[in-house]
Amino acid sequence: MTTHTEVFDESRLVELREQLPIRPWRSKPRRFTWSVIIASLAPAVFVGLLYVFADIPGALLLVAVYLPVQIFASGLAAYVTRGTRGIADSVIIVNAIGATVFTGIILASLLGSLIIRGWAALSAHFIFQNNVYINPSTPLEYGGIGHAILGTFLIVLISAVIAVPIGIATAVYITEVRGRAVPYVRFFVQAMSGVPSVVAGLFILTTLVVTGALSQSALAGGLAYAILMLPTVARTAEEVLKLVPEELRTGALALGSTRSRTVFRVVLPAAKTGIITAIILGIARVIGETAPLLLAAGNADQTVVNPTGSPISSIPTYIFNNVALPYPDAVTRAWGAALVLIVLVAVLFTLARVIGARKPGR
Amino acid sequence: MANPDLGQRDLQAAATSHRGDRIFNRVVTGAAFTALLVLAGIAVFLGIQVIPAFQSQGLSFLTSTGWDINTDPPTAGIFGMLYGSLLIAGIGLVIGTPVALLLSIFLVFIAPPRVSRILTNFIDLMAAIPSVILGLWAFYILNSQAQVWQELLNQYLGWIPIFQNDSGNFQGTPFIAGFVLAIMMIPIVTSVTREVLGRTPPELINASEALGCSMWTMLRYVALPYGRGGIVGGIMLGLGRALGETVAVFFVLKIVFDTNWYHVIESGGGSVATLIVSRFGEVSGAFELNLLLAAGFFLFLGTLIVNVIANLIVTRTGRLQK
Repeated sequence: MTTHTEVFDESRLVELREQLPIRPWRSKPRRFTWSVIIASLAPAVFVGLLYVFADIPGALLLVAVYLPVQIFASGLAAYVTRGTRGIADSVIIVNAIGATVFTGIILASLLGSLIIRGWAALSAHFIFQNNVYINPSTPLEYGGIGHAILGTFLIVLISAVIAVPIGIATAVYITEVRGRAVPYVRFFVQAMSGVPSVVAGLFILTTLVVTGALSQSALAGGLAYAILMLPTVARTAEEVLKLVPEELRTGALALGSTRSRTVFRVVLPAAKTGIITAIILGIARVIGETAPLLLAAGNADQTVVNPTGSPISSIPTYIFNNVALPYPDAVTRAWGAALVLIVLVAVLFTLARVIGARKPGR
Repeated sequence: MANPDLGQRDLQAAATSHRGDRIFNRVVTGAAFTALLVLAGIAVFLGIQVIPAFQSQGLSFLTSTGWDINTDPPTAGIFGMLYGSLLIAGIGLVIGTPVALLLSIFLVFIAPPRVSRILTNFIDLMAAIPSVILGLWAFYILNSQAQVWQELLNQYLGWIPIFQNDSGNFQGTPFIAGFVLAIMMIPIVTSVTREVLGRTPPELINASEALGCSMWTMLRYVALPYGRGGIVGGIMLGLGRALGETVAVFFVLKIVFDTNWYHVIESGGGSVATLIVSRFGEVSGAFELNLLLAAGFFLFLGTLIVNVIANLIVTRTGRLQK
């Protein structure tokens, strides 16, 4: 390439460079647009008429009639505008849009049902009261998940206190100390991120709870959560520390700073927002995990603030216990708690996005 | 990381020349090995639980199916659970993988950038939905829909052995459990494949366009082969998550101690992770707890192997592509 550029004059070269990002597969002639519109309307109308006038179940109609007809219509439209080459394209485009719509419907159904069904349970006392004296059949005017919210915060706090320093230290080892074991440490952190949550709970159960070192408690639950949180914090923090410019490190060392002081006074402050993002993502990773808490933290109806000693409730275990009860009010409480939990997760993710969007090193 | 060789030598020298730094170095190195320590701890402490389980049950703990703790002698075998975990994860893969692949093709090659960015945010949110919420939704919303689909499958495709259903009971089938796992896997697999496909060099795409390739040909011969390793790795990461999934499956799968080989829309199936949680609530004593911990060890072993392979594949393709 470069040897031939002398042939063009300079202005032509600039023009060519500017052309590079243009994506030719995106430009479509007008006839294409029209045939796409017809090809997407005709099958929909056809199937809509069938749905109204013929007695075919909706699910069957969508999968066995609409999809084939839509693929056929799009294939025909593609054949008219682009010849045989267009048929495969149209099939893949229809299927890709179909997959996207499928995922969208599922997500909309999930979030929609959470909001609609959960809203009925929400009220001030639902957020603040606890579950003492509440039966599954008690009406919604009484009781709440205050104890579970407090429990979740306590357990997440404990796990963050344990997992965040270790996770950041692991990242510091990989990016700053750069010892010989870096590839192995990275490998183990990746392997640890695949540990199923129920196994983390079993591990804490068998090492601490069964042996009598701890009872089912916030501390035991927090330790199980820490196992799940550590890899997320370590991997995100590693990515963030990699973004800190090398000049900052060499500059600090050249000024006579020791290695540890460079890390604590220069590298970590420079990556502060990224580190906060790593912590938030770690918290968001664990906050909805249920299985480890079922095993390690147990369940309680009253508000518990003692981190050791007694079982404690949390939002996920509260939902778990109420889902399959044959009382409508208990189930509504589960939906309400689920709405609170998803709002917490969404807030954490938005926070991580907003903070993470800022540039590192400022 | 601009100059890793030079950096490493100098930093090592700086790190050992000062007493505070030596301590710092040791503390950080120690912390870095926590991951190894925890993994080894899980392997050892759950591993020793396998010994008494094998002493009482022999190898039939792994090869038979049953859970009769109160008989004398008690018998327990988790083969049906191990197989069931694989079966529902397999169903999840069959449903989830094409959707995830097509979804990432849509995000990378078809959708306008702005639409693609918004959808990506939603898919990340989907990945963050806690499994207990997924279970709640599946129990009340998906279940009734899935009944209809399964009856239709049985009605029209019942002559295929896997869609047989003699009982007429479509509740708690491996199909629903697999569908829930597919919903869990779609965002995980999509986020990996989207990234891999997005890294296809634009030169290659433009070149294939210039040669007259249609989009399908470009995908078939350029983008998919280019990202093959990453796509396979992403699918295996999703598989690892699906194998260890507990709570979402708990609400939609009826655990039966009888191997359900391939009747995917027949009520009843197995899952190791769900077995642990469902039996733990009413565990009868130290003996049964020991059996559950031993089952947990094999769950850990299986997911560890799948995850290690997945990570090796993803890391290797990541390096090749750079």
